[in-house]
Amino acid sequence: MKSIKSIIPLICALLFTYALNRSWGTTPPFGKLLSPFHGFWVNAENPETEEASLELLKIPGLQGEVQVIYDEMGVPHVFAKNDHDLFMAQGYLTAKDRLWQMEFQTHFAGGRISEIVGEKGMASDQFQRRMGSIYGAEKSFEGMKEDPKAEEALNAYSDGVNAYISGLSERQLPLEYKLLDYKPETWTPIKSALFLKNMSFVLASGTDDLKMTNILRKYGKKVAEDLFPNYPFEESPIIPVGSPIDFKPVPIPAGPADFTGLGSSMMTPEKDPNIGSNNWAVAGNKTVSGLPILANDPHLTLQLPSIWYQMQLVAPGVNVYGSTMPGTPNVIIGFNKNIAWGVTNVGSDVLDWYQVKFKDASKREYWHDGKWKKTTLRIETFKVKGKENFVDTIFFTHHGPVVYLSHEKPFRSNIPVGHALRWIAHEKSQEMTTFFQLNRAKNYDEYKKALTYYSAPAQNFVFASNEGDIALWVNGKFPLKAPLQGKYLMDGTDPAADWQGFIPQEHNPHVKNPVRGFVSSANQFSTDPSYPYYLGWQYAPSERGRRINERLAIMNKINMDSLRGLQNDNYNIRARKVLPLLLAQVKASSPAQEKGLAMLKSWNLQNAPESIGATIFENWVLYLQDAVWDDEFAADEKVPMNRPALDRLIHMMEAEPQAVWWDNVKTASKKETMQYMISGSFVASMDSLAKKHGPMGPEWAWYKHKQTGVRHLIPGMDALSRLNIPIGGGGSIVNASTTKTGPSWRMVVELSKEGKPKAYGVYPGGQSGNPGSAHYDDLIDTWAKGELRSLLYLENPDQKSNRLRKKIVLSSK
Amino acid sequence: MKKKLSASYQFAVVVILLVVGAIVNVYLPWYVMGLVFAALAAVLGLPSGSGFRLGFVSGFLLWSLAAVLVNVQHPSSLPERMAKVLPLGGNVIALYAVTGLIGGIYGGIWLWAGARLRQKS
Repeated sequence: MKSIKSIIPLICALLFTYALNRSWGTTPPFGKLLSPFHGFWVNAENPETEEASLELLKIPGLQGEVQVIYDEMGVPHVFAKNDHDLFMAQGYLTAKDRLWQMEFQTHFAGGRISEIVGEKGMASDQFQRRMGSIYGAEKSFEGMKEDPKAEEALNAYSDGVNAYISGLSERQLPLEYKLLDYKPETWTPIKSALFLKNMSFVLASGTDDLKMTNILRKYGKKVAEDLFPNYPFEESPIIPVGSPIDFKPVPIPAGPADFTGLGSSMMTPEKDPNIGSNNWAVAGNKTVSGLPILANDPHLTLQLPSIWYQMQLVAPGVNVYGSTMPGTPNVIIGFNKNIAWGVTNVGSDVLDWYQVKFKDASKREYWHDGKWKKTTLRIETFKVKGKENFVDTIFFTHHGPVVYLSHEKPFRSNIPVGHALRWIAHEKSQEMTTFFQLNRAKNYDEYKKALTYYSAPAQNFVFASNEGDIALWVNGKFPLKAPLQGKYLMDGTDPAADWQGFIPQEHNPHVKNPVRGFVSSANQFSTDPSYPYYLGWQYAPSERGRRINERLAIMNKINMDSLRGLQNDNYNIRARKVLPLLLAQVKASSPAQEKGLAMLKSWNLQNAPESIGATIFENWVLYLQDAVWDDEFAADEKVPMNRPALDRLIHMMEAEPQAVWWDNVKTASKKETMQYMISGSFVASMDSLAKKHGPMGPEWAWYKHKQTGVRHLIPGMDALSRLNIPIGGGGSIVNASTTKTGPSWRMVVELSKEGKPKAYGVYPGGQSGNPGSAHYDDLIDTWAKGELRSLLYLENPDQKSNRLRKKIVLSSK
Repeated sequence: MKKKLSASYQFAVVVILLVVGAIVNVYLPWYVMGLVFAALAAVLGLPSGSGFRLGFVSGFLLWSLAAVLVNVQHPSSLPERMAKVLPLGGNVIALYAVTGLIGGIYGGIWLWAGARLRQKS
C-alpha cells in the first residue's frame, strides 16, 4: 500500500511532463515551448549593431571559401569562387533565415499539410495532389535535370539547405516548429521543383470553364458570348496596337465540334482574383540619365514570412542582385551589371477540362477517338498526423488527372467533377535554366535565348539593358488552339478538342524598342485581336494597364523617383469613367445620402489611405454588381456561374439602359430599371457602411475599410501578422493593395553604361522569417508609405560601405 | 513522520536546485531537469511535505528569471507577440508569470515525486 502511494507522485510527474512535451490538437507543447532555455524565448535575436563582426562557419561540401556580407536590411551579399559554392551558399543562407517557410510552402504545394495539422488539412492536400502537383513537379524535375547547370544548382542548393538543417539543435529550431511541434526533414531538389510548380497553382490555375458551361447551359451561346465578350470594350494591350508581326504563323487547328457538357459542381471558396502585377521599362530618350529604367511590382498574397528574399549572388561570370524565392536557386526578379528584368503574370488559358466517359465503374477504360483507351493510375499516400495513412488513387486519361470523380465533392467551386484536367503545369519544363541564364545575361539576345526555356506560369518578361534596349516578351508555353477552344468545358471523347501542339516560342507576343518609348504590362490582354493565335478570352481588367500606359505616354525626363511615384499611383481610372454614369442616376433621399453624394462629387478620384470618397465609390460598385447580377448569375450551391466583368456592366450603363439584366427576376411583379438599380445600390451600400463604421467620419477612411494586412502563413496567427496597414490603392489601381494581396516586391532599376546600376526596392516583410528578429517585418512601414530602399550592389567583397554589418566566411575546413 | 527544515537549509536547497537546474537546462533537453530534481530530492532525503513547495519555488524562480534575463539580453518583440499567441493580451509580465508557473509546477511535482520515493525505501 505504502509503496503504491510513493509511486503515485512519480506517475503524476511523468504524466505532467509527457503532456507538456507534446502538442494536443492546436495546443502547443507548453513545457518545451515556454522553457526559457529551449522554447520560444531562445528565438529572440538581438537587433544588429552598427559594428562590423566576423564569423566563420564550417560547411562540409563547399569547394572553396564563400564570403557573405550582410547589409543593414539583412540582405546577404554572397561572393563565391564557383557556381556550385554560390548555390550551396544560397541554400544555406536562405534556410538560415527562412527554413520553416521553405518547408511549409513545399509541404503545402505537395499536399502534405495534414502531416503537420492533422485531418483538417486533408481536403486541401487531396486537392493539390489530384490537380497533379507532385506529378507536375516530377515531370518538371526531369526537364530541369536535362540542363547539367540547372541540375548542379538544384543539388548544391539542396546540400546547402541540408547543411543548415543538420547543424540545428532542437532549441535552435525556428519558432513555428516549436509552436506546431514538429521537426524539419531533409530537403531534396524536387522540393524546388514543387515550389516552382506551385507558382503555376498560384498564378495559372484560374479556371472559369465550368462556370461558363453552366451559363451556356442556362442561357445559351448568344447570351454567354454577349455578356462574356472575348475582348474588353476598353483595353490597352501589352503589345502596342499596330506592332508588326515578325513571323509567319503556323496553321490554326480546326477546333472541336460544339459541346455543351454536363456542367455541375458544388460550392467552396476560391482563388483571389486580385492577384496581378505591374512592370514597365522606359527607353533612354524618356529618362533624365539617357539610359533605360525598369520597374516591376508583382502582386501576390501578402504574407509573412515574405514570398521574396533579397540576395546578391556573385561568382565568376555572374553578379546579380534581386529577389529570390525561398526554396529555389537563382534570382527571380532583379538586375546585373548590364540588364534588368521583371515579370508579371499572363492570364492566358492554359488549363482545360475534358468531360470523361468511363466504360464502367472500375474506370480502367475511357472513350476517346472512337475507341476504349486505358486509364493510368497513380497512388498517393497521405501521412495524416494522429491518424492512419490515407491512400488515394488518381485516374489519368491522356489529357491528365481526373481531379474529382462524379460523386465527389470538389475542394473549390470552379472545379468540375467527372472531368480530366489538361494543364500546362504538367509539362516537362526548364524554368530554372531561364533564371540561371537571365542572372548572367548581358544583352537582349541573351535575354531572348533565356526565355526559350520557360514554360509556366507564363509571364510578361520586361527587359532593359545598358545598351539602351527595352523589350517585353509575353512568354511561356501556349497551347495551339482554335479560337475560344477551352472557354467552356470540352468533350473528352473528341480528339479535335485535344490540344494540338504549342505555339512556336518565337511567335509569342513580343515587342522591342517600340516607337512610344516604353513597354509595360499589368496582366491585361497580351495583344489586340489581330494577333494570329488564340491565347485566352479573359485577362485581368484593363484599368491598371490603361493607367500606366496613359501616364508613361505623357511622362518625360523620367527618373527613378517618378517611376516610384507611378508604382504608388492611387488614381481610380475606373471611377473616372463610372462615377459620372452613376451620379447621373441618383438623387439623395436623406441627409446622410446627401452627404455621401457631396463627398463623391468632391472626391479627387484618388484611392488615398484617408479618402472617404474611395470607400463610398468602391463599396457602391460592389453593391451594384451584386444587385444587377446576383439574381441571374448568383453562385448557386450546385450551379456556380461567372458574373460578367465590370467592363461589360459599364457598357450596359452606357449603351444598353434597357437591357433585360437590369430587372431583378426575383421580384416577379416588378420591373426594375437601370436607374432603380443604381440608386437602390447606392442606398444599400451607404446603409452598410453606416452599419459597419457608424456615421460618416474618419472611420470611413479607405484604408480602415479595406483593411490591408500582411498575414503569417499559419491561418489565424494574427499575433505574427501586421494588420490594418495604412495604405491606399485597390484591386484596379496601379498601387494594387487589397485586403490580402498587393505589391509583393517593388523594384526600380536604372542601368548604367559603366556597369554600376542604381536600384531601389522594398517588399512588405523583412529578410528574416523569425518573428523574434528585428528584420521580421521592418520593411512593411517603408512599403506602406510608398517609399523604397536603396539596394546595395557590391562589386567586390572588400568594397567599403557604412551599410555593411556582419560578415560570415563559409568554408569546408 | 514530519521533519521541520530550518530556513537556512531550505534556502540552501533552493540555491542548489537553481544552480543544478540552470546547468541541466542549458545543456540537456527540457525534461531532464525534472529527473535531476527527483534524484536530488532522494539524495538529500527531503521530506515529501516540503518537496513540492521547494521545487515549485526553485522552478518558478529559475524559469521566470531566466525568461527575464533572455529578454533583457536579447530584446525583441517576440515575448509580446507570444503573449498574444498564448493568449495573454500581449502582457509580457503575465508571460513571465506563466513561464514561471509552468517551471514551478514542473519543478515541484518532480521534487515531490523524488522525496516520496526516498521515503519509501
